[in-house]
Amino acid sequence: MPLWFARGLRRGVVTTRYPARPDPSAAELPTPPAFRPDALTRELADRLCRVCPSWALTRNGDVLIFDVGACTACGRCREAAPAAVTASGEFELAATDPAHLVKRIPLLGEGAR
Amino acid sequence: MNPASAAADSGKPAPEASPALVASTAHEASTAETADALRHSVSRQFGRSLHIRTLDTGSCAACEQEIRLLTAPHYDLHRLGFFFTPAPRHADLLMVTGPMIRAFDIAARKTYQAMPGPKLVVATGACALGGVYQPDAFTHGTVGETLPVDVWIPGCPPSPLALLHGLLVAVDRLAAKVRDLTFTRNGGDR
Amino acid sequence: MTAVRPGLAGEAPGLHGLLSELGRDAAAGDGPVVTVSVAGPDLEAAVRRLAAFPGARLADVFASGGNPAIRGDHVVLRLVWGLDSDQRYLVTDSVIEGERYPQLSDIAPAAFHEECEIYEQFGIRPEGGKPLNRVALPPQSGPGPALPRLGRAPAEPPAEVHAPHVVGGHAFEFPFGPVRQVGVESLYYGLVTSGEEIVDLYLFTWHKHRGVEWRMRGRTPREALFHVERTEGLGAVGAGWAFAAAAEAALGVDPPGQAMRARAVALELERLYNHAAATAALCQSTGLAVGQAAAEIALERLLRLNAAAFGHRYLFGVVDIGGVRRGPDATALRRELPGAYGELRHAADALLATNSFVDRLEATGILTQEAARRLGIVGPVARATGLATDVRADHPAEPYAGCPLAVAGAQSGDVLARFQVMLAEAAESVRLIGEFLQAGAGPGLTESPEGIAGRAGRSGLGWAESSRGEALAWVALDGSGRITRARLRPASVRNWRGFDDACRSQNVFTDIPIIEASFWLTVAGTSR
Repeated sequence: MPLWFARGLRRGVVTTRYPARPDPSAAELPTPPAFRPDALTRELADRLCRVCPSWALTRNGDVLIFDVGACTACGRCREAAPAAVTASGEFELAATDPAHLVKRIPLLGEGAR
Repeated sequence: MNPASAAADSGKPAPEASPALVASTAHEASTAETADALRHSVSRQFGRSLHIRTLDTGSCAACEQEIRLLTAPHYDLHRLGFFFTPAPRHADLLMVTGPMIRAFDIAARKTYQAMPGPKLVVATGACALGGVYQPDAFTHGTVGETLPVDVWIPGCPPSPLALLHGLLVAVDRLAAKVRDLTFTRNGGDR
Repeated sequence: MTAVRPGLAGEAPGLHGLLSELGRDAAAGDGPVVTVSVAGPDLEAAVRRLAAFPGARLADVFASGGNPAIRGDHVVLRLVWGLDSDQRYLVTDSVIEGERYPQLSDIAPAAFHEECEIYEQFGIRPEGGKPLNRVALPPQSGPGPALPRLGRAPAEPPAEVHAPHVVGGHAFEFPFGPVRQVGVESLYYGLVTSGEEIVDLYLFTWHKHRGVEWRMRGRTPREALFHVERTEGLGAVGAGWAFAAAAEAALGVDPPGQAMRARAVALELERLYNHAAATAALCQSTGLAVGQAAAEIALERLLRLNAAAFGHRYLFGVVDIGGVRRGPDATALRRELPGAYGELRHAADALLATNSFVDRLEATGILTQEAARRLGIVGPVARATGLATDVRADHPAEPYAGCPLAVAGAQSGDVLARFQVMLAEAAESVRLIGEFLQAGAGPGLTESPEGIAGRAGRSGLGWAESSRGEALAWVALDGSGRITRARLRPASVRNWRGFDDACRSQNVFTDIPIIEASFWLTVAGTSR
């Protein structure tokens, strides 16, 4: 027993301060994508929908519907279109209403501005 | 075409803040408010401490590993007043992983019914939230078809930090922020 | 410490001789996988011949075809033999025209589980009428459509018979699960006990059946890889590598060297974190909370290292068809790995010096070498009984080819032996990671995904030594490169049957979690 006690004292406390303080290890976690609406054409949106293996992306007219709950942060959409898709950096994603997890991303429409 | 996309079709940019799917009747809006109020009152009853039972409805085992790490020294769930219990009778919160395999429905319902009220259900991980598996002959694809879910935690698997956040949201000690996130970025931003 | 090959030791009379007996000449350019067609009537003789071949072990049995909607689409029964002394795999395929095929498990008992699975998925069964158990699909639980099968549903459901027990006094059976302790996967045990002693233990592993192989049909290999990784998340690299290698063999694709070394770094990191997790589980099962905390600190540091090095704590999304999508961050690895492994090493040293802990492990959950060979056990569980089976050494593919590897082993086959084998493997993994980084490990794909997509393929076998043992995959692609049949065989499929054996005799209830931790399998890996 003294063996364990001494080692524990030497190592010190490793417990995170989260939620009182942010935890630096969060910076290396994979996160869902963030989209640039001004770079998303219909064609690109359709390609992203096909590339997503988890059915998190569907297109409805000029809106890309992104289901954050279905997203696994696999990064395939980011790899397919790095100029239009980046990592959001968000990992605190819990929702009390599933509707809050469904995001509507506007696309460049026919009459793009 | 979905009438909800008519606003986008008209050429006007959609508003930056993403609203919830529009409740088409006043009745639906008040039902959502009532559900929220009920969850708040349940959370208040738990005070500063509650007990968690986990339930695997068909996960790949990664979610379970992250859940086990909640009591590990790096995260130490106990300092926040949460404890695990194997007995549903002692549990206040049911943490459910996996896509709800249809053959598991009965076991899932029995576990939920064995918990005395008030109780909360937290669906954990992309499989439980409708990702990875589509509804088909084997799985429901989402936990919400079998159990009434109070909090949804995305991730594949959700890291222990994300799980802590989700549990604290479930008991009203942290606000859910995903409602206000847009997952969009303008050109020139990071 | 001498180790023994799973087959017979001694000189191998020659693969060529064997193959010509099976009616096929080995070509000089034969690679590590040889495929032989064996006519249905000749199958029994071929199986006897192969089972007697020195160094041969039956690694997997599965079927394909048998689509009831296609007239004349007969079931093709495939047996995968590991000819470990010759560093080859031999795949035999036989068309089965009726509903019966020769009894395999009488000759090679390792095949019983697969015979049961083939019956449930394809409706064909071995001769002899031996009762088959339900291993794969859940029973029909009510009205509504039956679960889809890979082939034709069987005419009768499986009989579900377990061996009769005779024990002095009264024995009763008590069902446990599928909802078990907190934080563990769902699994049902049928425990037969006369009080405290375990007379028998059998598992129902079908609760988590997600139809993964069924779901992969019609997908491209790259799409399917996403599901392969999430079949057994704690073995994502092992399963992903085996599947990618199978697809690459089918497509004739050779990943670049630096990508293969990156895969190996990921595989060794996966081995490391799994062994750390098993250590923590062993401490938890023996009630040593301080040891558990120390092992969990090591585990968390290793998972954070995975995230820093490869972008995901469980190494999802690293393996790709034709290479790797992300290469390791070598700087982060070199900086963090010594400290993270040091935590595990110090915890293990302290544990092995703690008598109250070691006492719980010694002579608990003994699996004999004979049982391990008979049941086709793989991985650290097999190595702890003295069998020297490790596909990194037996079927060396890049980058393990030409890389000296110390295969860990022990003799006693108990929980302590398995723990010691895992610790020895962890040390070896750290050394290997250093070597692969030294030689250069980085991202790369031999061809772009667009280049591979749509290319016609044939079939291919892939393998990897996952943390639990040999992971196999076989895939058949159609003319446009889509999957017609994918077979996934993680090590857990094999090793759960060793768990029943290890729990029987001289063990009591409280030993079960200890034995389960020492096997460190997943339910998801077998129920898929």
